[in-house]
Amino acid sequence: MKNKEQNVWTGIEHLNPSPEFLENANQEFLHGQEEIPIPITEQSLSLSSNRRDFLKYLGFGIGAATIAASCEIPVKRALPYVTKPDTIVPGVANYYASSFVKGGDYCSILVKTREGRPIKIEGNSLSPVTKGGTNARTQASVLDLYDTNRYQTPKKVESGKVKEVKWADLDRDVMAKLNSATGIRILSNTILSPTAKKAIGEFTTKYPNAKWVSYDPVSASGLLDANLESFGDRVVPAYSFDKANVIVGFDCDFLGTWISPIEYAAQYATNRRVEDVKAAKMSRHYQVESHMSLTGSNADNRILVKPSEQGAAIAALYNAVASQLGSATISGPKLNDKASKAMAGVAKDLIANKGASLVVSGSNNKYEQILVNKINDLLGNYGATISFNNASLQRTGDDAALQQLVSEMNAGSVGVLIVIDANPVYDLPNGEQFKQAMAKVGLKVSTAAVPSETAVVCDYIAPANNYLESWADAEPKRGSYSLIQPTISPLFDTRQFEASLLVWAASPAYDTKAEQPYYEYLKSSWQSGMFGQQKAFSTFQSFWDSTLHDGILENPKSSNAGAFRGEVADFGSKLTQPSSSELEISFYETINVGDGSYATNPWLQELPDPVTRTVWGNYLAVPVGWKGEAKYDTFKGLKDGDLVDLEVNGKKLRVPVITQFGQMPGTLGLALGYGRTEASVTGKNVGVNSFNMASVVNGATAYSSDKVKVSGKVGTEKDFSCVQYHHTMGVTGTDNKTKQKINVDELAAVTLGAGYQGSIVPRTIIRKAHVSEVSKFAETLHEERLGHQALNAKTLYRKHDEKYKTGIHWGMHIDLNSCIGCGACSVACMSENNVPVVGKHEVHRHHEMSWLRIDRYFYGTLENPNTVYQPMMCQHCDNAPCENVCPVAATNHSMEGINQMTYNRCIGTRYCANNCPYKVRRFNWLDYTTADLFPSNEYSINNEKVRFGADNLTRMVLNPDVTVRTRGVIEKCSFCIQRVQEGKLTAKSENRQLRDGDVKSACMTACPTGAITFGNINDPESAVSKKNANSINYLVLEEVNVAPNVMYSAKIINSNESLDA
Amino acid sequence: MGKKYTYLQWSAVIMFLLSGMMLTAAPDANAGKDLFKANCAACHNKNMKDDLTGPALGGVQERWAGREKLLHDWIRNSQAVIGSGDKYANDLYVKWNKSQMNAFPNLTDDDINSLLLYIDGVFTGAIGGKPVAAVGATSAAPEQKSDSNILYWFIAGVLLILSFMLLKVVKSLNSLENSKDGTIAEPYSFRQLITSKSLVGFALFALIVLGGYTTVNNAVNIGRSQGYSPDQPIKFSHATHAGLNKIDCQYCHDGARRSKHSLIPAANTCMNCHKAIKVGSKYGTGELTKIYASIGFNPNTDQYIANYDNMSEADIAKIYKQWIGDSYVKEKELPALDDNGKIEVERQWAELKSSLTNENKPKIQGPIEWIRIHNLPDHVYFNHSQHVTVGKLECQKCHGKIQEMEVVKQYSSLSMGWCVNCHRETEVKFQDNAFYNSYKRYHDELKNGKREKVTVEDIGGIECQKCHY
Repeated sequence: MKNKEQNVWTGIEHLNPSPEFLENANQEFLHGQEEIPIPITEQSLSLSSNRRDFLKYLGFGIGAATIAASCEIPVKRALPYVTKPDTIVPGVANYYASSFVKGGDYCSILVKTREGRPIKIEGNSLSPVTKGGTNARTQASVLDLYDTNRYQTPKKVESGKVKEVKWADLDRDVMAKLNSATGIRILSNTILSPTAKKAIGEFTTKYPNAKWVSYDPVSASGLLDANLESFGDRVVPAYSFDKANVIVGFDCDFLGTWISPIEYAAQYATNRRVEDVKAAKMSRHYQVESHMSLTGSNADNRILVKPSEQGAAIAALYNAVASQLGSATISGPKLNDKASKAMAGVAKDLIANKGASLVVSGSNNKYEQILVNKINDLLGNYGATISFNNASLQRTGDDAALQQLVSEMNAGSVGVLIVIDANPVYDLPNGEQFKQAMAKVGLKVSTAAVPSETAVVCDYIAPANNYLESWADAEPKRGSYSLIQPTISPLFDTRQFEASLLVWAASPAYDTKAEQPYYEYLKSSWQSGMFGQQKAFSTFQSFWDSTLHDGILENPKSSNAGAFRGEVADFGSKLTQPSSSELEISFYETINVGDGSYATNPWLQELPDPVTRTVWGNYLAVPVGWKGEAKYDTFKGLKDGDLVDLEVNGKKLRVPVITQFGQMPGTLGLALGYGRTEASVTGKNVGVNSFNMASVVNGATAYSSDKVKVSGKVGTEKDFSCVQYHHTMGVTGTDNKTKQKINVDELAAVTLGAGYQGSIVPRTIIRKAHVSEVSKFAETLHEERLGHQALNAKTLYRKHDEKYKTGIHWGMHIDLNSCIGCGACSVACMSENNVPVVGKHEVHRHHEMSWLRIDRYFYGTLENPNTVYQPMMCQHCDNAPCENVCPVAATNHSMEGINQMTYNRCIGTRYCANNCPYKVRRFNWLDYTTADLFPSNEYSINNEKVRFGADNLTRMVLNPDVTVRTRGVIEKCSFCIQRVQEGKLTAKSENRQLRDGDVKSACMTACPTGAITFGNINDPESAVSKKNANSINYLVLEEVNVAPNVMYSAKIINSNESLDA
Repeated sequence: MGKKYTYLQWSAVIMFLLSGMMLTAAPDANAGKDLFKANCAACHNKNMKDDLTGPALGGVQERWAGREKLLHDWIRNSQAVIGSGDKYANDLYVKWNKSQMNAFPNLTDDDINSLLLYIDGVFTGAIGGKPVAAVGATSAAPEQKSDSNILYWFIAGVLLILSFMLLKVVKSLNSLENSKDGTIAEPYSFRQLITSKSLVGFALFALIVLGGYTTVNNAVNIGRSQGYSPDQPIKFSHATHAGLNKIDCQYCHDGARRSKHSLIPAANTCMNCHKAIKVGSKYGTGELTKIYASIGFNPNTDQYIANYDNMSEADIAKIYKQWIGDSYVKEKELPALDDNGKIEVERQWAELKSSLTNENKPKIQGPIEWIRIHNLPDHVYFNHSQHVTVGKLECQKCHGKIQEMEVVKQYSSLSMGWCVNCHRETEVKFQDNAFYNSYKRYHDELKNGKREKVTVEDIGGIECQKCHY
């Protein structure tokens, strides 16, 4: 095929570079009008003036040195405990098992605390649900604890003014209203806690006219209702992506955001690894969507359908499966030709893997989900890859109940509305309507921990604790319980919402005089509940201690869900009908800010979206058109960062644009969760809110629309920040003079003359192959690598092997097939290593500080490419080119193979960053950590008054074992040297050899799919050594002879080639 | 022309003189005196004839005659010698009730020779005091040493005479040359001499070198505070606790073995003993009451005070003033508190209050805010357990003889050079720890004699990211 690009590409600028792009890409950092101009005047050029300057500086230097020398060193105090707790040894970290829960998002975790401060989240490997994996949101959640915008006391809004009140006063006022209210409604998102549900039960018993309504901002109502209808059980069943050989996802981002992404990603990856080249086998993944989601980007085949064609696509697959299996077909809506042809192929694959396949859909249309159930039923997947035993409870929201609440409120029949951490004013399609309806409610109470659009229109704010300050439990899946324990006393005068409800319900079971009342309540709830269901422990105390220690409890339960029932024959008209509109838009959740409740977290705002690679805002994804013969155009000729006026369902917004490969022609995509207007300083007015562009169809929220209009370019986004073209390695472009293709970041080398080794061979950043030809690929790879190695062996320098083979040598292996690009490692790295947040403007200037970035490359067909994600961090080269250009030896090699960076020695020449072929070194252009003495060097990430990170509260999250870097020094991945040293010290103290697993880097522990392995490569038995033996491994840029210590295994794809024909 | 010769000659003379002075690095009784005062005087009687905590040192060389090397080892680390099974050493150890002598690994052979010279000098009366009746003949060793000293002085003297002679020769040659030219040699005036280009040049050069050296040295020392010994809120005496009572360092500093911090003990650690010992040997109730006031212990009733955190200052004052007063009465065996007693109570209370409060801590209750003595910059990572548990270092190695300090002072410079030097010299206990098994090459080299020892440097101990990350 002509439109097939053999090599990987990074984006449109790569394939069709503009002169400015080449200019910029050739520079490490963007230079433009943002740079502080240095006025060149006659005087500044004259020599005499320079001498005078010299004398001035000399004088100042001597003066300053004199003053500094005569200054007394400030007296520092050392405060011991008065009574030292037995469990705390200052300087030694404690880990507590807990759970991260936010709405329906769940992750079993270990909380690392130092001197009583939670500073890092790790996955809990005992959990059968998340299996020790985490995601970006979980990793970042520790920063929310130290959010300066948290409500610090209960508040009361009186005639538009916010007043601080005492809890006792708030309780008295609320209870008075509750006693007299006609209708009481509790509104929440999904609640996973069985004890919280019990507390709500006590509340509704006390107030019989009370009712609990729950909804999910990104709704799964359709799926739940479908399961109720098909199986009589309103839950999300347990999926086993690891048992499926063929996976079909209909607009369902199960690796990034859908229901339980950590769990699914781990399952998915087990069936995608290629460890045995001779018998390579992996699952095949089809994704049917219009906008490229994280899951779609990992798929082997993407089948493009418009958002309105989703129903038609499901029907087409159903018909294809049914007809081949001899069942009745339905008269579904018409699907585009290409997709409907593809569906036949998909159906063939599915049938060939009956009982070992899985079809999932993210649709919120009940009938589409029932049809999907029917497909799975026909394929015999129930009981094989789908089970109602251990079903997921992570989404329980009910759209219809919510819409009913709106009408009740409008009718004035709701006297008291208690909003538990939900934000309906922001995240409902009819949020504005909800806000107006709220005005008719007598008393509105919010338990929000931070300001939100909903909280600010409430009468009382009864702020809840952060989850790290609370006692609670969770039941993410039926029979899978986990506990949440506090790892720090509440920082402020807050109270968890369960406690508030129990106080208001005047529950007799809730002893307000106890030291920790809710702890007692939780314990007694477990004693009467979960303790009775198990047999392993005879006393409650031992049961409780063990469960609290592990953080989890497994009490398997079977389901009473029946077999599939119901008819689908008449569904043709109930599915979403394809639109004839020329343009459609879909709204999707991103892995970072999710439904918007994560928008207040700076780490998540700064984490690039894996697909669009944009930060600090949402961008309208517009398709890239292919005109044949390697000619491209973009939708309306728009370029990245252009502003357009978008009109959806009559609502208008001005949004910036990002050109997106894989976006179906005639469709657009826009992320949800941005454009918060009442949030912390971080999240305020970042991006645009697209929730109100979604619509309610038949009582359920539909996250797409066909009533779209887009203007041409109306302006340019200020500080457009997409990191895709930052720090690129080996981006090729056409040299304007010679018209030849060259690596743009080596333009200089080429113009200086040929013969520079790095530029005369094609760059090997990504290696990829189809699963059917892995063996052949491994052979070619081997030959090619031998060639590189032969060239590399021709060196004048002596080898350091003897040194490096002695003792420990650290190395890393990254499996590109397991990596799904979710960004958990990237946030874990920021958290572990005190990597600063720099804000949009600085990212725009290529100044982002992340030590670990996830590069995105496309390959395959230009109109519908495949994607490969490559985590890229310092490769700790044994022949490091950065080391020998440092004039002050601030970066050098350790005998354990770690490329060391010594901040206090660095003078900021940036030669090393310039000489790094992987572009992984980061320079502190400004005082991002506010470690300097000069406020003028500090910066602001979102116009906040106190600089982010400058206040003592935010600084509590810092890892005390890692230096906070100042302005003017280079930093980069250290292989988590603090963990390396800690692991070695533990082994030495215990008088034993280092064991594999003693040292795990932060990225390795964060990864939900086990794509990263770190360890001692001198130990042949270590996991990393074993992974390094795989014959599809390669070193990135091996040809430049830097001898990196990070090895990658090639991306293997299992695409169905027959679909493209 | 001739002048050059002259000054060259002058400088030669100066050089010779200087080199003569520098060569005197032989044993020196004065150095020995300083060493004795610094290291030994706490336990050994300075008259060298009577026993104190340790035995009299006079005549020590006879007692160890013929085993000088072992004596040196004994002085550096007596426990090692005892451990080696030497009979005399073990007998001595038993005789002195197995009280250990401090280790002085830093003493060089020269230091010990100086020390022995001094001890012998005092013992025999050659240094200070009146001569004693000879117990034994003075040993020959010191004389031999002074022999070489005399030799150096002799050489220096000869060289000096030689230079003067040469000077004279040059002068004569100069005048001869000048008289050849027909000019009459005029002797330089003093003024000419000191304003001559060469001398001014030399002076300037010396000034720059000296100034530069001083500047750099002082600049390097900015931020270092060797010898820093601030007054602490409580006059806690390490000499009493660690020296006299021989409490193990890690009883209180329990972090040293397992954490990066050695940890200042919490007040409840103090209470382990001071719940019983309520009056101190040196300050009576003056200092100990501060601990009680910090933690909320009522020494009158031997009970911890309930809800102490919320107690008013007046109530606190009542409790502790009563305690101080009662103790005073008891100590002086008075029937009731007299006027002096009242003054003493007020004095102690005022002192207590000023010690436990400061501008950031208005309340008496709560942690004792000690003044931190050992401060490393933030970019330095230091871990106590690595050195104490793994390296098995004595605390004194870095902190000095803490057991003799009334007021703790910073003993070491804590400079990077100081750290690195030790890492260069210190031998890793390579055989004792299974962790080092992976360093196969070093083990092989040790076995086949290619390598004598493995230092911390050899396993990467002076690499940047051992301490900076």
